[in-house]
Amino acid sequence: MATIAQPLPGTRIEQPKPGLQIGKYFRWSVDHKIIGVQYLALAFTFFIVGGTLAMGIRWELLTPATDLMASGTAYNQLFTMHGTIMIFLWIIPALAGFGNYLVPLMLGAKDMAFPWLNALAFWMIPPAGILLILGYFAGQAEAGWTAYPPLSILYSPGNGQTMWAVAIHLLGLSSILGGINFIVTIRNMRPEGMGWFDMPLFVWAVLATSIIIVLATPFLAGALTLLILDRVAGTSFFNPANGGSVLLWQNVFWFYSHPAVYIMVVPAFGMLSEMLSIHSRKPIFGYRAIALSSLAIALLGFLVWAHHMFTSLTPALRVPFMITSMIIAVPTGIKIFSWIATTWGGRIRLNSAMLFSLGFLSMFVIGGISGVMVAAIPFDIHVHDTYFVVSHFHFVLYGGTVLAIYGGIYHWFPKITGYMLNERLGKWHFWLTWVPFFFTFFPMHMAGMLGMPRRVAVYAPEFQALNQVISISAFVLGLSTFILIYNIVWSLWKRKVVAGPNPWRALTLEWNTSSPPPAFNFYGDPVPFRDPYGYGTKEAWDYLKEQAQELGPSYPANQPPEKAHPVALAPAAGD
Amino acid sequence: MSEARLDMPVADSHAADHGHGSHSHAENLKFGMWLFLGSEVIIFTVLIAAYLVFAVAHRDLVKEIHEQVGILLVSGNTFILITSSWTMVMGLRELQRGNIRGLRRWISATALLGMLFFAIQMVEYRQLAAIGVTLTSEFGAHFYAPTMLHGAHVIAGVIWALFVVRQAGRNRYSATKTIGVEVFGLYWHFVDVIWIFIFTCIYLL
Repeated sequence: MATIAQPLPGTRIEQPKPGLQIGKYFRWSVDHKIIGVQYLALAFTFFIVGGTLAMGIRWELLTPATDLMASGTAYNQLFTMHGTIMIFLWIIPALAGFGNYLVPLMLGAKDMAFPWLNALAFWMIPPAGILLILGYFAGQAEAGWTAYPPLSILYSPGNGQTMWAVAIHLLGLSSILGGINFIVTIRNMRPEGMGWFDMPLFVWAVLATSIIIVLATPFLAGALTLLILDRVAGTSFFNPANGGSVLLWQNVFWFYSHPAVYIMVVPAFGMLSEMLSIHSRKPIFGYRAIALSSLAIALLGFLVWAHHMFTSLTPALRVPFMITSMIIAVPTGIKIFSWIATTWGGRIRLNSAMLFSLGFLSMFVIGGISGVMVAAIPFDIHVHDTYFVVSHFHFVLYGGTVLAIYGGIYHWFPKITGYMLNERLGKWHFWLTWVPFFFTFFPMHMAGMLGMPRRVAVYAPEFQALNQVISISAFVLGLSTFILIYNIVWSLWKRKVVAGPNPWRALTLEWNTSSPPPAFNFYGDPVPFRDPYGYGTKEAWDYLKEQAQELGPSYPANQPPEKAHPVALAPAAGD
Repeated sequence: MSEARLDMPVADSHAADHGHGSHSHAENLKFGMWLFLGSEVIIFTVLIAAYLVFAVAHRDLVKEIHEQVGILLVSGNTFILITSSWTMVMGLRELQRGNIRGLRRWISATALLGMLFFAIQMVEYRQLAAIGVTLTSEFGAHFYAPTMLHGAHVIAGVIWALFVVRQAGRNRYSATKTIGVEVFGLYWHFVDVIWIFIFTCIYLL
């Protein structure tokens, strides 16, 4: 029978809480909660920068000729920075932010295994980001985020390309240190009584991701070292004229970057497992299948890299890589069906977090299907380097990961700040993201199949109508982001609806403390509930009732009667 | 270097030791070090593999350079590095017996042998440069990348060894508090093992 640890005398949370203390987020701190917020805030800032660059790309592509950009080179720099910033400075750090904030809390731990190393890993990111952007003044990197030689060696004269490589090197090191920290934390810091298969699925996802990071990122480090040597010391690892090999880069780069695709999406899978189960008020379907399929994806992810090189690969190797690439769809499919089964018959709360989770399901499936399509060699050779590929990975990374991050913001914002976000604005944000997202990226499939190449500023006039649809949708999509920013600012400084410890009536341990949690996370040692997803049982109902008695009421029960909507918000027995 | 920083929480173990779960902070540090070394193995694998791909394609060139330089110097150097692993083990043994002076002597010897290894490597690089194997030559790039990275690891290890000697002088270690030395030991043995792979793949094959 689950019980809640007694709070220490005199430590009961007081409401209302003290101010937000913004200053501590700009200082060195070894508190994983502060570091988590630092990651999230910095990543979101870079998201705005990368998004602005994306708006530039779409503005340029409104017409077939160059207009916004002075030259093709300027356009190359534009999309290179867009891709690099979005991948290395938005998605990866944002997911690391959720991991930092949530993993120790979900494990009932007081902090990560190595708090000092955690802070170090975070503080490597701002200098790397600044270095990347300062490259603009030295001739910005222009070889795409993949930096294929000889383009990145012989045809990128600006020092920005070298600065790009150094910055990515730094971000990779930061990532490795973070990954080591997560693995040690998850293996060694679980509380008494929480076995591997009692962990929340988000923790499983972070574990799988960290294994990929530790095993794959050194390949990137090795490749970048050689690239920097080629550019600075005059070696010729990748210069065929002097005995080097361009395919060496492609192999090593994709041996990192394909697993990195899973670094960018597996934590989002974990967030989705949490949100879908909590907001469907049902146990997760296939806990072990979801947990182990994360590991399966992590391992299989190392066996598929050459599907990025179908057009440059020895033909005999094409079919083996096609097969391994298609096999990856199996563990991913297991997850998708488990999530659908989780929502099936649940008492679904259609709040913003749930809407974004369902949005993830719908859009990620499209990205997954187009992924199987490009894994098929004959089709891939037709759409290689076209907008079909651009569409595919935006469906996976934006329609998948970014929607999950949005959902995660709505879901965990009450825990992180102690205040609720406004639901009405949240729903506006969802619909103005989901619909324009579809109309931005779906027509790219068509443009790609009709033959429009990616990475060009000038295109054939017959693609103009499609591109105008895409660009206008993209502008709406870009603007919709500001609804979220407004919602955050308003909720923190003006609206101030106190969330209380557990507004979603969740069973995982991060909700078993005040919002925001105190410096050492818990009052006493928390005792995890028997099953992190045991929703809809009498036992869970009693556990939550006891928790509310210990920690105080949560939203909406803590609201004055005139503001509460009893019919819509009051939990039912078994909820 | 990051590896020195992994050692840092030992110095202020109050801040880092949360005493949570069934594992001690020492176990966390050791496991973290193993993971870090795992990622290091991969960086070296990339560079050694790049060399091997080159060597297979240019057998004659590699053979010619091997014949010109000979293997005597580098064999002696390998012996020096293996000896330094032995002194490392002896140092830890003295610490476990509670002999701090013995610890400082053996770890100082480890640092000295590491410096000697690096100095001889520099002599070897000069010999190679004299016969035209520079960083910009075809063979040179593939040869220098892994061996220089290893040399950098030796230098980092020497600095870390000197740090351990200093910490020992400040009574930061005892027979029951050996983790700071153990983690350094893991690193130093790793540097040794990687060299044995480099020696086999680059000098012998």
